[in-house]
Amino acid sequence: MADRLPMVDKLWFILPEVALFLGVVVIFIMGLSHSKRVRDMLPMITCLSLAVAFGLTWWVYEGSRGQTLLSVNPNLMLMPMVGKYVKMSACAIGIILAMVSVGSVDRRLEAAVAAGHLPFDPIRANRGEFYAFFLLSLMGVMLTCNANDLIWLFLALELTSLPTYIMVAISRPPRVAQEAAVKYFFLGAMATAIFLYGFALLYGSTGTMILTEMQRAFAAQAKADVVNSFGIIGMILAMLGICFKIAAAPMHFYAADVYEGAAAPVTAFLAFVPKTAGMVAIILLLTTLGWSGHPSTGLPEPIMTTLWMIAVLTMTLGNLGALLQRSVKRILAYSSIAHSGYMLIGVIAGPANNGINAVLFYLLVYGIMNTAAFAVLAALERRGQEIETMEDLAGLRIKHPGMAVVMAIASGSLLGVPPLLGFFAKLYLFIAGIQAGQIVLVVIAGLNTAISAWYYLGLVTLPIMAKPSAQSETIVRSPFPWPRIAGIVTAVAVVVLPLFLGPLIRASQAATTPASLTTGVTISK
Amino acid sequence: MNWAADSCAFFAAVQPLGQLALSHYLITSAALFAIGLIGFLSRRNMIIMFLCTELMFQAAAIAMIAFSRFHLDVSGQVFVIFILTVAAAEAALALGLVVLLYRRRETLNADVWSELRETPTP
Amino acid sequence: MTAALLLIVPLLGAAALVVAPARHAKWIALVASTIAFVLSIIMAVRFGPLWTSREFNQIGWVGLIDAFGIRLSLGADSVSMLLVLLTTMLMPLCIWGSFSSITQRLREYYGWMLVIETAMVGVFIARDLIFFYICFELTLVPMFFLIAIYGAENRARAAYKFFIYTFTGSLIALAGLLYIAWQYAKSRGYHWSFDIETLTTFATDMSATEQAWILLALLAGFAVKVPLFPLHTWLPLAHTEAPTAGSVVLAAVLLKLGTYGLYRFVIPMIPLAVVEYAPVIAVLAIIGILYAALICWVQNDMKKLVAYSSVSHLGFCVLGLFALNPLGVQGSVLYMLNHGLSTGALFFLVGMVYERYHTRDMDQMGGLCNRMPVWAFFMVFFVLSSVGLPGLNGFVGEFLCLIGAFTASADNASYPGVLGPWYAAVASVGMIFAAMYLLIMTGKVVWGPLKEPGGHGHAGASRAHGSTLPADLTLREIGVLTPLAILCIYIGVQPSPITTVLGPPIDRILGNYPETVERLAQPDLRPEHDVIQVSGIEQGEPAVSGHQHYSGGADG
Repeated sequence: MADRLPMVDKLWFILPEVALFLGVVVIFIMGLSHSKRVRDMLPMITCLSLAVAFGLTWWVYEGSRGQTLLSVNPNLMLMPMVGKYVKMSACAIGIILAMVSVGSVDRRLEAAVAAGHLPFDPIRANRGEFYAFFLLSLMGVMLTCNANDLIWLFLALELTSLPTYIMVAISRPPRVAQEAAVKYFFLGAMATAIFLYGFALLYGSTGTMILTEMQRAFAAQAKADVVNSFGIIGMILAMLGICFKIAAAPMHFYAADVYEGAAAPVTAFLAFVPKTAGMVAIILLLTTLGWSGHPSTGLPEPIMTTLWMIAVLTMTLGNLGALLQRSVKRILAYSSIAHSGYMLIGVIAGPANNGINAVLFYLLVYGIMNTAAFAVLAALERRGQEIETMEDLAGLRIKHPGMAVVMAIASGSLLGVPPLLGFFAKLYLFIAGIQAGQIVLVVIAGLNTAISAWYYLGLVTLPIMAKPSAQSETIVRSPFPWPRIAGIVTAVAVVVLPLFLGPLIRASQAATTPASLTTGVTISK
Repeated sequence: MNWAADSCAFFAAVQPLGQLALSHYLITSAALFAIGLIGFLSRRNMIIMFLCTELMFQAAAIAMIAFSRFHLDVSGQVFVIFILTVAAAEAALALGLVVLLYRRRETLNADVWSELRETPTP
Repeated sequence: MTAALLLIVPLLGAAALVVAPARHAKWIALVASTIAFVLSIIMAVRFGPLWTSREFNQIGWVGLIDAFGIRLSLGADSVSMLLVLLTTMLMPLCIWGSFSSITQRLREYYGWMLVIETAMVGVFIARDLIFFYICFELTLVPMFFLIAIYGAENRARAAYKFFIYTFTGSLIALAGLLYIAWQYAKSRGYHWSFDIETLTTFATDMSATEQAWILLALLAGFAVKVPLFPLHTWLPLAHTEAPTAGSVVLAAVLLKLGTYGLYRFVIPMIPLAVVEYAPVIAVLAIIGILYAALICWVQNDMKKLVAYSSVSHLGFCVLGLFALNPLGVQGSVLYMLNHGLSTGALFFLVGMVYERYHTRDMDQMGGLCNRMPVWAFFMVFFVLSSVGLPGLNGFVGEFLCLIGAFTASADNASYPGVLGPWYAAVASVGMIFAAMYLLIMTGKVVWGPLKEPGGHGHAGASRAHGSTLPADLTLREIGVLTPLAILCIYIGVQPSPITTVLGPPIDRILGNYPETVERLAQPDLRPEHDVIQVSGIEQGEPAVSGHQHYSGGADG
């Protein structure tokens, strides 16, 4: 209890979020402007604020002040350097996501205003809100990394989720978007309540909200071989609740419906942003328990079993579910579920086996390749409607060769075909799993990968090889070039980044460097 | 690992008519949580479903306050204030969405909204 | 750095194809693959004294990936060098051979051909496990596209089946290899290494149970690729649907990745399990030989016949490998090369007929020697080479494989084995079958009265299909076949340079065997001096061919 920290020290590390918040305010106001030119600048401002936040993150962590703060106060945060990695990748992928979302919100309204059918009415315009919420949700992810407090963690997770509910609802006009929003919101609220209850029990078990102190409390309990049952139950409840954010079983049921209902750019957002926040939160919470702080070899048995079952169920249900789908978005939704299952292997493996690095690396890679796939959906349309089914993709190559190739590369990478980026991410996870001795789990994941080949190959072959169907003939490019550009950029990244695998892996390793993590105990008094 | 025995001991300590102890508050909160969860899963009126999630939130809040008193640590009570705030934000959001849906379909029954679902494979 | 260039040049060619206009595509591909061939010749010449070295020598370094123990280093011994030469020699021929048959989506086609060249060469010269696996898997992608885009009517199903079979198989193999790497890392305080040599040395000391599981996992990957009997069902389908050059690559090189995997990983890594299960694998191989041969007998589709004959022939290859003596393994490696040459050529020949008549049904054609004498000459030539006529290449490999299996009995002093005369005797029935089905095909198609498909003369057919091909082979087609024919004759009459260089590395990979076999056969009775004698032979002079080992063993 000796080192109660001045809040100011912690605030230094949220400078990037502060910058984003300034962006949010500007965007809220600009969205109401009567000038079309100002309103059209919104995505650009979004990207700009993200770029600033990206630079600030680097400066804040690498600058002398940040270094000093971290070295003076090892207990400032549970995993101080995770923030740098996750925030920078969230900003980078956020920029891509903002590009994908250009033109998806308020399209009809803007067209009507441009055609002069309708005067511009700030009350009916949603674009400002959309981009503001976009940034707020990303802010939530970034704040999650800095959490050293259950309160902070809870607020950050809520900040990630609440804006996404609204983004789903306003992402596109059809009724299904609102249906998706309601389903998402209600299940999300229930999940929040579950992990909140888990937090309460964790608090009860340790008597502190501060994660670093909680870690010490758990270490002391473990030393005496009495981990409080409140702690165990609370941790399991918290994990189950957070499973909603990462779309893991048993809280994955919403994913297919919500992903299908939301507009493609928002779906891409949902597949990356809450997942990252959830994964970081799970990692932080489990770190308090300590992978090796417990007298047994790792996490306490009930937690380990729960995680193991969640991982297996998630990947299996995800892949089997995807086999049954005809809608591209539903396939990608189930694939997103399955990928959460893969990532949990890394969580189970723990930091001592490079598991956490592998998860962090996988999150970045997943963000890139998944965004590429959704960028294709966002870049194409039929009479102003999104394309939905697999048949729509058939023979895409004839009229949209670029998008067909992007789709093929993204699916190949999601499947994990070497030498694409996805393969290395998966390999890293599997190696971590093997190192932790989880052979059965890795074998199950391998078999799941084999199952997933079936539907990913469909996504590869249909655009590249099939003959165009009557349906796919009517597909045109969306009038906005940005989703296309985002798709091409991410696809190129998937192909080229393996060349920089060394630095990327080292960056992810640096994210978990302080050795306190691996020992789980930092009692230094 | 003796968490099972540990919880047995905990429930054995509950005395029905004795002085109010931590356990009473926790049982209350657990009951509230269970009622909320069951209600959420079984009811189909969107307002009631939302109220059930609120019930679960308040269950967590009660547990927090009880633990806060038990540990003589104020941070639990601080958390409760934040929980209330977030619950209010969620309420605003929920009512907004429910009103939006109500305008379209004139009903609060959640089952009416089932355009998004698993389709049988061809 | 020739080795690294060899990997990069085809990729550069493929990259150039992305931007080049379609009409230049075939020439770019041809030039790139020819440069790769020249590079591989340079590499072979510079390999110099290493040709007779026992080790898997490091020959290059691509330091791109340097994470979690993965290092892209390249190496070769004489076996992989020969396979690289086979690959780089065949690729320009394949590309040249598809000039007339591929008429649409040219850039993609040639691009994939070049990518698959890089991948195949990469498999043969990988020193790093992960690099090996990347290349091994990367071969799937181009082949998948080659079948799925340019194949016949059933192509989608064939491509899917091919991909799923081999992808699943190699994932399981990866699991087995990662298990070894894990055990290694565990014993070294979690310093991961994926160096194949290191892991090989390490794996030989693992327990018999572990080795058996690893064998099972590795077989899932490599036996599917070979393909070994119960796992072969993807192959005929893939072959019949693939375009001609795709079939050639598939038969000539891709299948060799499986046998090469067996040679490189299974045999040296897990001797205990191999000795224990070699009879089972040999029986599967023999079943494959006979079963596929019988299927060939009743085939009407020439391409399917050649495809099933691949299954049958690769059975000999596996049988030779699991004879576990230098003769058998030399025969097996030689067989890999020979099968690449003759079966590759047969697929070319079938493709040439198909391009002219748009059918491969043997019942619809006959007496083609009247119409296409040059084609008929090559057909008979390569059929004889494939049958194993003494004096042509097929004979040497097949003979060595069978001799290897024959002498692999427990009482052989120098290289005791677990097979024996019976295995060789039953397998040699397959040779007779092979002669029968291939000669029946030749008889039907080449000799007899002229019969052309569809009742129309060839000239009419060519007009009807808009084909500009003359009745007989063009100079280009002759040019594709001639190098293969020359090599067939060369290997047939003069195999000793090849068997000589094959000796030392094969001695090395078999290093553990005499002892292991002895130990498993009679745990306690083995006298000490025999072990000394065995190790003496292991280090025998490099130029000694396996044949001499064998005679030495028989004398002793």
